[in-house]
Amino acid sequence: MQVDPAANAGYLIAAYVVTALILGGYALVLFRRANRR
Amino acid sequence: MTADSTGARRLIRWGQILTGVGLVGLALVFVLALRYTPVERFQGLPQKIFYVHVPAAWSALLSFSLVGISSILYLWLRDPRLDRFADSCAAVGLVFSLVMLTTGPLWARPVWNTWWTWDARLTFTLILFFLFLGYRALRGALQDPGERARFSAVLGILGMVLVPFVHLTVYLFRTLHPQPIVLKPSAPSLPWEMLRTLLLSLGVYTVLLIGFVMTRYGVNARASLEGSDAG
Repeated sequence: MQVDPAANAGYLIAAYVVTALILGGYALVLFRRANRR
Repeated sequence: MTADSTGARRLIRWGQILTGVGLVGLALVFVLALRYTPVERFQGLPQKIFYVHVPAAWSALLSFSLVGISSILYLWLRDPRLDRFADSCAAVGLVFSLVMLTTGPLWARPVWNTWWTWDARLTFTLILFFLFLGYRALRGALQDPGERARFSAVLGILGMVLVPFVHLTVYLFRTLHPQPIVLKPSAPSLPWEMLRTLLLSLGVYTVLLIGFVMTRYGVNARASLEGSDAG
C-alpha cells in the first residue's frame, strides 16, 4: 500500500528537531564546561 | 603551565573544532535528507527519520564498546587515562542513546502504529541505556578514584557484553524492528541516493562522537590536574 508522501511530516520534523536539540544542547554544555575557568 | 595541562587544553580546542564541524555537518545531513533524498514508497516521509536514528544507534553502540575495551585495558594496565576515556565514552554514548530512544518511537508511531513495543531489540536497547545510566551513577557515588575506576570498569565490561546482543536481536528473536540493511554479510540493500545520505550521516555522527569525547576527556583531565576530580 502506497502512502501520501506528505502524510506524517510532523513525526519527521519532530525527530529532526529532537536530534538537533539533544546533540546541539550537549555541545553547548560541553563548550560551557570547557570555557569555565 | 605543565605539559599535561597544555595537552588537555589542546584536546579541548580540537574537540571543540571537531564538534563544530560535526554540527555543521548535521545541518548538511538534514538538508540532504529532506531536499535531495527520495521519499520511500511505502512509509512516506517518516522513513527519513532513518538518517538520524541509525547513525545514533551506531554511535551509541560504538561508544559503549569503547567503554568496555578501555575498561578491560584499565584493569590490565591501571592507567587512569583509560578510566577517564571510558568515562567520556559512556557519557557520550548516553547522549547518542537518547537520540536513538527518542527518534525510534517517533518513527514507530506512524509506521507500526505504536510508540513502543516490548520486543527484543527495543528492550535490550533500553536495558543498555539504563545500565550506562547506572555506570554514571556509580561513578558519581564513589569518592576514591582507584575504587571508582575499578568498580566502573567491571560495569563497563558487562555493558559491552550486551552490545552484540542488541545487534543480533533481530536475528535471534521475532521482532517488529527491521533487520540491518547496511551492516550485514551481503551488500547494502539501499538505493544509492539513500545510501549516500546514510553514509554522510554516519560520518558526521562519528565526527561528533570524536569531538564530544575529546572535549569531555580534556575537561576531565584539566579538572583532575587542578585537583577537582570530575570523575
